[in-house]
Amino acid sequence: MKNLLITLVLVIFSAIISAQGSKMKAKEEFKLRPLEIEYYRLSNGLRVVLNPDNSVPVVSVAVYYDVGSRNERKGRTGFAHLFEHMMFQGSENVRKGEHFQYISKAGGTMNGTTSSERTNYFQTLPARWLPLALWLESDRMRSLAVTQENLDNQRETVKEEKRLRYDNQPYGQVFDLLTSMIYKNFANAHSTIGSMEDLDAATIEDVKEFFRIYYAPNNAVLVISGAFDTQEAKRLIEKYFATIPSQPAPPPVDVSEPEEVALREKIYEDKLAPLPAFIDGWKIPPRNTKDFKALSLAGKLLFDGESSRLYQKLVKGDESVVQIFGFVDERRGPSAIVIGAIPKPGKDIKQIRQQIYDQIKQLSTEGPTSEEMRKLRNQLINDEVRLRQSSLSRALRLGEYALYDDDPFLINKALDELLQIKPEQIRDAVAKYLNTENRAQLNVVPANQK
Amino acid sequence: MKKSLLIVFVMFVLFVNNGAQVMNEEFRKKPPEPLKEIPFSIGKPFEKTLKNGLKVVIFENKRLPIVNFRLGFRFGQINDPPDSIGLTAATVEMLNQGTKKRTSKQFAEEVESIGASIAASSSSDNIVISGSCLSIYEEAVLELMADMVLNPIFPENELNLYKQNTIEALKFQRSQPSFLAEEQVARLIYGNHPYSIVGPKESDVEKLKRERLIEFHKKVLIPNNAVFIVVGDVDTKNTLKKIEKFFGKWQPGEVKVQNFDSPPLRNERTITIVDRKGSAQANIVISNLAIRRNHPDYFPVLVMNQILGAGASSRLFMNLRESKGYTYGAYSNFDMRRLAGNFEASAEVRTAVTADALKEFFYELDRIRNEKVSEKELQDAKNYLTGVFPIRLETQEGLTSLITQQQLFDLPKDYLQTYRDKVNAVTAEDVSRVAKQYILPDKAAIVIVGDAEDLLDQVKAYASKIEIFDTQGRRQNLDDYAKRDEKPLVDVSGKWQLTVEAQGQQLPPLSITLEQKGAEVKGSFESIFGKGEIVSGKVRGRRFIANVNASFQGQNLEFRIDAEVNEDQMKGMISTQMIPTPLQFSGKRER
Repeated sequence: MKNLLITLVLVIFSAIISAQGSKMKAKEEFKLRPLEIEYYRLSNGLRVVLNPDNSVPVVSVAVYYDVGSRNERKGRTGFAHLFEHMMFQGSENVRKGEHFQYISKAGGTMNGTTSSERTNYFQTLPARWLPLALWLESDRMRSLAVTQENLDNQRETVKEEKRLRYDNQPYGQVFDLLTSMIYKNFANAHSTIGSMEDLDAATIEDVKEFFRIYYAPNNAVLVISGAFDTQEAKRLIEKYFATIPSQPAPPPVDVSEPEEVALREKIYEDKLAPLPAFIDGWKIPPRNTKDFKALSLAGKLLFDGESSRLYQKLVKGDESVVQIFGFVDERRGPSAIVIGAIPKPGKDIKQIRQQIYDQIKQLSTEGPTSEEMRKLRNQLINDEVRLRQSSLSRALRLGEYALYDDDPFLINKALDELLQIKPEQIRDAVAKYLNTENRAQLNVVPANQK
Repeated sequence: MKKSLLIVFVMFVLFVNNGAQVMNEEFRKKPPEPLKEIPFSIGKPFEKTLKNGLKVVIFENKRLPIVNFRLGFRFGQINDPPDSIGLTAATVEMLNQGTKKRTSKQFAEEVESIGASIAASSSSDNIVISGSCLSIYEEAVLELMADMVLNPIFPENELNLYKQNTIEALKFQRSQPSFLAEEQVARLIYGNHPYSIVGPKESDVEKLKRERLIEFHKKVLIPNNAVFIVVGDVDTKNTLKKIEKFFGKWQPGEVKVQNFDSPPLRNERTITIVDRKGSAQANIVISNLAIRRNHPDYFPVLVMNQILGAGASSRLFMNLRESKGYTYGAYSNFDMRRLAGNFEASAEVRTAVTADALKEFFYELDRIRNEKVSEKELQDAKNYLTGVFPIRLETQEGLTSLITQQQLFDLPKDYLQTYRDKVNAVTAEDVSRVAKQYILPDKAAIVIVGDAEDLLDQVKAYASKIEIFDTQGRRQNLDDYAKRDEKPLVDVSGKWQLTVEAQGQQLPPLSITLEQKGAEVKGSFESIFGKGEIVSGKVRGRRFIANVNASFQGQNLEFRIDAEVNEDQMKGMISTQMIPTPLQFSGKRER
C-alpha cells in the first residue's frame, strides 16, 4: 500500500534455443510491468482492491466471501453452495432473478461459484455500468431475501443440480470420493455440494444465521478491475457499501490434518462409466508454502501437455491409456495432488499405475532436467502474462490474494517466487510427498461389468 | 439547549448504530444511471499478399508481450473426397505428429519448452492452425508452424494411433443424444450437400492410408488458398520478413472450386425420432434452412435471435424454463457457414412434456414471426450484443478469432469497426421481416431423440410425416411400432400396492387404482404424502404407461409410471423431472 508502483522487472536472459535441424538464438530482455493496485478497508471492515487498467472500456466487479465448505459443520453440509443460489433470489430492491436480467441488459456477463475455500460472485460489463454492479452487489450483501419460499425453491434446484452434475454423469462422483479418502478432517473431507439430508434439515433460521455470520462486509473482499476512475470508484463504494453494518467475526476454522491419508484403497462401482478408470491422491502442504509451489511445478512436468512425462510414457510410448489427467487441489490448509487415467479396453490397470509410480520415483531421485526447468520457466511467464489480459481474471486472482493472504500485491510477486524454485527443491518435494505409499487409490469399475 | 443537544447526540448515535435499516437511503430504490460512455475504436490491420499467394494480415497490439497466430485455409471437411470421408480431419490432426525435422515428441517438447502452444483443427468450411507464445519467441513458433505445414511425413505408427483414438471417440459420440440429433438434422436440412455429413464412420477411419494423406496434403495445403493472421506485440515489417523467410518458398497450387448440390427445398413439417430406449429425457431440435455467414441479413438475424432464444433472458428460455419448468434450458441458434446455414431451436425436456414443449416452441416461433417486438425488448437485445462485444476484445485470443472469422468468411473489411453500429441500426421491422423469412415452422424438420414408444402418440399431431431411426442411424419400420399396440392387451384394472426403492431405502407404501377401457387407463393415486390422478394412462401389450399428477403437501408433482405387467404383479420405473435416474418399483394387485 505504501508504494503502489514497486517496479518489478523480470529480466530473463533466455537460453539459446537449440532446435533440431535449425539453430536460432534469442537473447531477449523480458519486462513485466506490475499491476497498479490500491488496497484499503472501509470502516465496516470490507476489504477493497482496485486495479485500474484502461486498455479496453470494460470493468469487472468481484465479491469474495470468506465462506466455503471448509466452514461447514457436521449436519450442515452444502450450506455454502446453497447460499450461492440464494444470492440470486432477490434482495430489498432487486427482485428474484433480476440480478441476471440487469447485467444481461447492460451487455454484461456474470456468475458465482463455491469451493472449499470461498464463495465468489462476479460480473464483467461495459465500463459505464460500474455503478449498476456496485448497486446490485451491495443490495444483496445488506438485504438478501432469505425467505422460506426461496429456501425451498433453491433447495430443490440444488438437488437437481447434484443429480445432473454428479449422480447422472459417468465418473461424476469420483473426485468427491477421492477427496474423502485423502482428507481426514471433516472440514476438508466432505463435498461442496453437500448431503441432501443436511439440506432438507436446513431451517430458515439456520440460513438467516449463516447469512448474518458469513455474508458480512468484514468477511468479504470487493475487487474492481478494468477501466474506471479510482476517485469515482472510491466514492461509489463508500456510497453503496459503507453503511452495511459489520458483524462479529465468524467462528475460527480448524483444517489441520494428520500426515496419513484417510483411506488408502477403495473400489467404486459406477453405473454410467463406459470404461474402468483409476485415480490416486496425495496429501501435500498448504498453498503459499515452498513445498506446495515445488509440487505444483512437479505436477506440470508429470501431466501438463503433450511433452509431459506421463503423456509421453502412457499415451504415446505404451499406447495404454485413452486419457491421462492430473491437477492440484489448492487450499489454504493441507492440499492435494491428483493423478488419474482411463486405460484402453483390455489394458492392465496395475501395470499402468506402476508406470506412474515409476515416473514419480524417477523425478524424486534424479529431479527435473535442465530442459524441463527451461520449459517451466517459459510456461510460467507465458501463463502469467496471458492471465493479465482480462479484467475478470485479474479481479479473481486479486480477490483470492486479498482474502487468503490479506495481500493482493502478491499478484506482482507470484511469478518471481515460482521462477526461483530450484530443481533440487522439486526433486526433494516429490521424494517427500509423492514417492510414498501414503496415498489414496480409487478404482472405478463399470457396475455392469465388474 | 444543552439537553436538546444531548438528545440530538443520542439520536445520532442510535441512527448510526442501527445502520442501513434506519438510514434514509432512497438512492437504493432504483438502479443507478450509467456513467458516461467511454469511446472505443478498433484499428485496422496491415494486409499484404505474398508472391505465392499467401495473404498476410498483421494487427499490432503492444499491450502485453505476447502474440497469437492463425494460419487459415478456405478448405474444410466438406471438401473431403466422397470416397474418403475424414481425410481432411486426419491430415490436419497429423501435421505435428512427425515432420522431416522432428518426431512428434520432439515437436511437442520444442513447442512447450518455450511456453508456446500450437494446434491444428478442421471444421466443415476451414482448416485453422493456431499458435501462441511470448513475443520473444515469435520466430521460433513461426519456424515450427512452417515445419508442420510444409514438411509433415505422416508416420505409419502415429497414423495407427490416431485411427485407434478416433474410433474410440466416435463410439463415445454415439452415446450422446446431442450428437444423434445433429446427425439427423444435418441429413434432413442438407440432403445431398456435404454439410449433411457430421463426421466419418468407423469404417471410414479404418481405411485411411498414409499415401492418401501425403498426396492430399500436397494438393490441399497451398498458400494461395490461405491467410496468415498475426495479432500481438510484433513489429509489422519485421514479422512480414520472417513470414516471407519461412513461408516464401511454399509452392502455390491449384484452387479447385467445387460445386455441390443445393440443400433440398422442404414443403412440409416432418418428425424424425431417434429411438434411444429408456431415455429419461427427449432432446428436441426444430430446424429449417436459413442463411450463410456473409449474408446481408446477418445483423437483423443476430438481433432477432437474441430476442427469441440466444440467451438466458430470451423468450424461449423465459417461457419453457422460467415459466413452464419443462427444461433446464431452451435456446435458438443460427448455424451460419460459408455456403449455407440453418436455424435451430432446441431443448432437452422430460419425456412426459415433449408435446407441451413443442406447443410452446411453435407458439414462440409464430409470435416472433407475426407480432412486432417491443422497443424495450429490441433495445435490451442490442445493449447485450453491443455490450459483450468489447468483452471479447479484452484478450488477444478474442481479437484474433474475430479477425480470423472476418478473413475466412470474407466479411466486410470494416466488420469489427462497424459491428456495434450495425447492431444498433436494426429496427423492429427488420426483426419481423427476417423472422418471417428465416423461421419456417410449417416446413421445419423436428428431430427428437428419446424413447420412441413414449414419444409417438404424444407428438404425432405435430406433423403428418413421422420416421424413426435407431441410435446407429438405421431407419426403422414405423409399422413395427404401430403393431406393438395391437398385441393382446394385459388387463390392469384393480387396486395395486406399489413398493418403491429410493437410494437403497424403501419409501412409504403407495397405491394406484386403475380402470381400463380398451388400451386406455384412468384412475387415482394415493400415498401418505398426498393424492393424485392418473392421466393419459395406456396399455401396450404387457406394458403399462401412465402420467400421474399428484399433490404432495401442497406441492404439485408430475411423475411417470412405466411397468411390465405379469398377471397380478408389475415391475418398472417411476421417473420425474427431479430425478434423472428413475426409481425402481414393484406392484401387487389386491384380490
